[in-house]
Amino acid sequence: MTSSNTSQGFDVCVVGGGVMGCTTALFLARAGMRVVLVERDALCRSASGVNAGTLTLHMTRAALVPYAIQAWSMWMHPETWLGQGVLATAAPGLSLAFTDNEREILAARAAARREYGAQIDLLDPTAACAIEPGLNPAVLEAAHCTTDGFASAYLTGRAYHAALSAAGVRIVEQTPVTRVERLAGGYRVHGLDGAVSFDATRLVLAGGVWLEPLLALLDVHIPVKTLINQLIVTERMPPVMRTVLSIASGLLSMKQFANGSVLIGGGWQGLGDRERGGVETIPANLIGNLRLAQHVIPALADARVARIWLGLESETADAMPMLGALPGLDEAYVIGCVHSGYTSGPYMGKLLAQRILGETPEMPLFDPARLLATPGVPAQTH
Amino acid sequence: MTDYDLIVLGAGPAGVNAALAASAAGLRVALFDENRAAGGQVYRAPAFAGTTDDSAERQAGDALREALAKSRVSAFLGHQVWAVTADFQVDAVGPQGSLSCTSRALVVASGTTERVVPFEGWTTPGVIGLAAATILLKSQKVLPGKTTLVAGCGPLLAAVAAGTLKAGGELRGIVDVAGFGDWLRALPAMLARPDILRQGLAWAWAIRRSRTPLYARHTLVRVIPEGERLRAELAPCDRAGRALPGERKQVLVDCVAVGHGLTPATEITRLLHARHRYSRKAGGWVAITDDCGRTSRERLYVVGDAAGIAGAAAAAEHGTLAGLACARELGAAAGSLDPALGQAQRRHARAARFGHAMARLMALREGHVQGIAADTIICRCEDVTRGEIDAACDAGARDVNQLKAWTRCGMGPCQGRTCGDVAAELLATRLDVPREAVGIFSARTPLRPMTVGALTGAFVYADIPIPKAAPL
Amino acid sequence: MQDANRGVVVDFHFEGRRYSARAGQSVAAALFAEGVRGLRESPREQQPRGMFCLMGSCQECLVMVDGRRVLACQTEVSEGLSVSRVAEVGLHD
Repeated sequence: MTSSNTSQGFDVCVVGGGVMGCTTALFLARAGMRVVLVERDALCRSASGVNAGTLTLHMTRAALVPYAIQAWSMWMHPETWLGQGVLATAAPGLSLAFTDNEREILAARAAARREYGAQIDLLDPTAACAIEPGLNPAVLEAAHCTTDGFASAYLTGRAYHAALSAAGVRIVEQTPVTRVERLAGGYRVHGLDGAVSFDATRLVLAGGVWLEPLLALLDVHIPVKTLINQLIVTERMPPVMRTVLSIASGLLSMKQFANGSVLIGGGWQGLGDRERGGVETIPANLIGNLRLAQHVIPALADARVARIWLGLESETADAMPMLGALPGLDEAYVIGCVHSGYTSGPYMGKLLAQRILGETPEMPLFDPARLLATPGVPAQTH
Repeated sequence: MTDYDLIVLGAGPAGVNAALAASAAGLRVALFDENRAAGGQVYRAPAFAGTTDDSAERQAGDALREALAKSRVSAFLGHQVWAVTADFQVDAVGPQGSLSCTSRALVVASGTTERVVPFEGWTTPGVIGLAAATILLKSQKVLPGKTTLVAGCGPLLAAVAAGTLKAGGELRGIVDVAGFGDWLRALPAMLARPDILRQGLAWAWAIRRSRTPLYARHTLVRVIPEGERLRAELAPCDRAGRALPGERKQVLVDCVAVGHGLTPATEITRLLHARHRYSRKAGGWVAITDDCGRTSRERLYVVGDAAGIAGAAAAAEHGTLAGLACARELGAAAGSLDPALGQAQRRHARAARFGHAMARLMALREGHVQGIAADTIICRCEDVTRGEIDAACDAGARDVNQLKAWTRCGMGPCQGRTCGDVAAELLATRLDVPREAVGIFSARTPLRPMTVGALTGAFVYADIPIPKAAPL
Repeated sequence: MQDANRGVVVDFHFEGRRYSARAGQSVAAALFAEGVRGLRESPREQQPRGMFCLMGSCQECLVMVDGRRVLACQTEVSEGLSVSRVAEVGLHD
C-alpha cells in the first residue's frame, strides 16, 4: 500500500548524507539516475563536516593508500566534480618521531605505505626543521610526503548541498530511517517512524556509525564500532606552522588554516556512543592531546583554544572498509567504515557509483560479506 | 568520594545565596567565579578601594561579600572554569594554575549575556554595551565619555543614564525603543517591590532634572566615526524597533552605550544536555526547571538570570531556594528546611513579579531584526553580515549549526555568545518558522577561550599518556 | 595585586605610549578613559574594533601583555605593564 506521503519513482535511495553517501548520490545523479538522499541530521554534520580535514597518506591504512592518492586529487580539484570546494590546500606532510621507539614505528610505517605507492622519505632533524621551522628541534626523525594537505571540513555540507541540488538529487534532511521494506523490484525506505517513505529500485546504505542498525533493518548483521574523536581549534593567530603534522603513532594531526586557526586532532577519545552521538569531552584527553601538540610546535603555548568538539568515526572488525553489494540482496549496497574516511571518501563514492552503474570500478571494492556476524555470537557493541 | 557536596558556578546574588544556604544547611560547598570579587554584574565590586558609593546596589553587594567571607564556603574567585562534565567534575584555571574538583550536585548561576540588535556601525570603537557602561561607572569609576548617548531598551537604559549623570557626565540623549505605554504597563507589577521601584523613580527624577532629551519609540540606525567622536543617527521606530521613514536626528558624542535586553547564559546547562525551551519573555533559551531551579538532569540546578531573566533581587531569592532544595536533596538537615524553603518561595515570587515585568521590556521584539541592513555585520568575531546569513538560508541552511558551518557565523572566539540570538532570529524570521525550529548553537568547551599553555602546564613528553596507535 | 595597592596612580604602556590609571582598573577601562578606543582589527574585514562588553564575553578587546594573548577587560593595570596590539592573524582569507 502506498500512502500519500510516499515518494515514488526513484532509481536509487541513498541513506546517509556524509561524504560517501553524497558522492555516490552525486555521481549517480550525474549519470542520469533519479536519486533521493535521506539523512538523519543535516548533510555532513556528524563526521564528514566535523573531522580534522586532514588529506594525508601518513594516517591512511597502507592498503588504502592507492585510493587516498586518487581522492586527494579529487579534493584538490573540486571544479572537476564537486563545484565549489572545501578550501582544500596542498601542504607537505610530516610524521614525527621523538623517541627511538617512535623512529622504529615511523620507519616501518613509511616502508609499508611506500609499498602501496606513497612517496614518503625519511628526513633528519635539520631537513625536517627546514621544511617546518616551527618544529621542536628535539625531533629525531620525520617522514615526509608531498601528497598531503587539508580542507576546511565544516564547508563540506555546504559544498555537497549545492552540488547535489544542482544535479537534481532530492535532499531529505532531519529524517532518520527507521524501517526498510523490500518491495518487488526495489525498496521502500521509511523515515521519521513512518511519517515519510521513499520507493527506489536501488538502495545504498552510507550511514557511518549507524550502518550497524541500518544493515540490521535488512537483516544483515555486521558489527560497527563507534569512535568518538576529539577535535580542538584555536582562535585565529599569526602563522606558527606551514605543514600538516602528525606523529609516528598517528595520535596527532595538526595544521594551520589560511585564516590563522590551528586545528588539532588525532583520534583522542571523548565520551559518547552511537545513540547519543558525542556527549562530552574528557578533560584529561584534551590536555594530553594539547601537550602533544605543544611539544611538536612549542609556539602553540600562546594560542587560545576556541572550541573543542567531537566527531564520530566508524570502524569494522578488521578496520577495513565496507564497499560493495550486500550479500543476498538485489541492488542493495553499502559504503563506509573507511579509515581516514574524509581523505578517501570521494573516491570510494565514485567507485561505488561505477559499480552501481554497471561499470567496472577502477579499483577493487571491499566485500562486506567477510564481516557478517557469526550467527549466535552477539555483535560487539560500543 | 567527591571533593564537595555542591559546586556553585557564578558568584552573583543567585550563586552566592545558593552557596550560603547550602553551606548553612551543612553541605561542603565550593563557589567559582572568574571575577576576583563576588557580586556578579549588578552588585559588582569596585576595582579599587577608597571609592565611595552610597547606592543600594553597592550596599547589597558589600553585604553579600561580607556574608560570603564569614561563611564556610570555599570561594574560588578569579578562577576561570573551562570544563564541566556530566559527573560534575569542574576544571578551572586560577592565579595558582589549574584546579580540578568534583561534587555531588551542581548549581549554575552564570547570569546573562547582553543582546545588541546590530545596526550600521555598531562595531565602531566607542560603541559599547549598556552593561559595559555600568561596569565602567560602578566598578572602574570611569565615565564612558564626556558626552554619551544611551540607546536600546529596558531598565539598564535608565540605570546607565542616571549613573552617567551622577558621575558628572553629559548625557546627549536617551533613545528608547519602548514607548511610555510600555513602561506604564510594567508599573503594576513593579509595585511588588516598592524598594526597587523607588530606586527607578529616583533615576527617572535625576534624568528629568538634567533635561536630557528623551527619544521614546526611537532607535539608533547608524553610528559613524567623526574624528575622535561618534555621529549617531536616530529615527522614530515602530513597536518592533524597526526604523520608520522620516526625519533622522543626528547626535555627536564620545560614547554610545546600547543594549536591547539580556539573554540567559545557558552554555553550561546546554553542555550538560539538560532540556531547554525557548521563551521570548525569559530572554531566550532557558533550561526547563521546577520552582527551585532543578533541571531535567539529576542534581543539576540553574538559578538567577541564567534560568530566565528576572533581575538581581529575584536571583538572590532563587539562589536561596536552590541552595535549600539541594541541601534537602542531598540529605542535609532533613525536614527542618521546609519553613525556610516556603519563605524563600514567597519572597522569590514577589521579586520575580517585578523582574518579569522588566524582562518583558527587554525581550527581543518580534520583527526587530528585520530592520537590519544586508551589509551590517552580525557576527563580530568573523565579520559575517546579514546578507551572508540570508544567502546561506536561501541555499538551504535550516538550523543555526548548519548556518555556522556554512558562514562561520558564531565560529569565532566569543563562541556565538554575541551573535547567537540575533542570527537564530534572522534565520527563523526568513524561514518563517518558530525559533525552536532553528535550534541553538551547540555549547562547547572550553567555556571561555583558554591559552594552550594554561591548560598544558608543565609536562615531559614521556609522561603524555599517548593512546594505542591506530592500525597500519 | 595587594589590595592596599589598589587605587594608587600607576603608569603603563600601550604600543609604547605611556598612560596612567588607577592600579586595579582593567586595561580596557583605563585605555577607554584615556581616549584609546580602537584596540585591534577584525580579522576578515580589517575593521577597527575595541572594548565592547567589558565582561570577558565578546573577546573584542584581545591584546598582548608580556607576550600573552589576554583580554584587556580581564587584565588589571599595574605599574609598568606593557600592553600592545595583537599581531595580524592568519595568512589570508
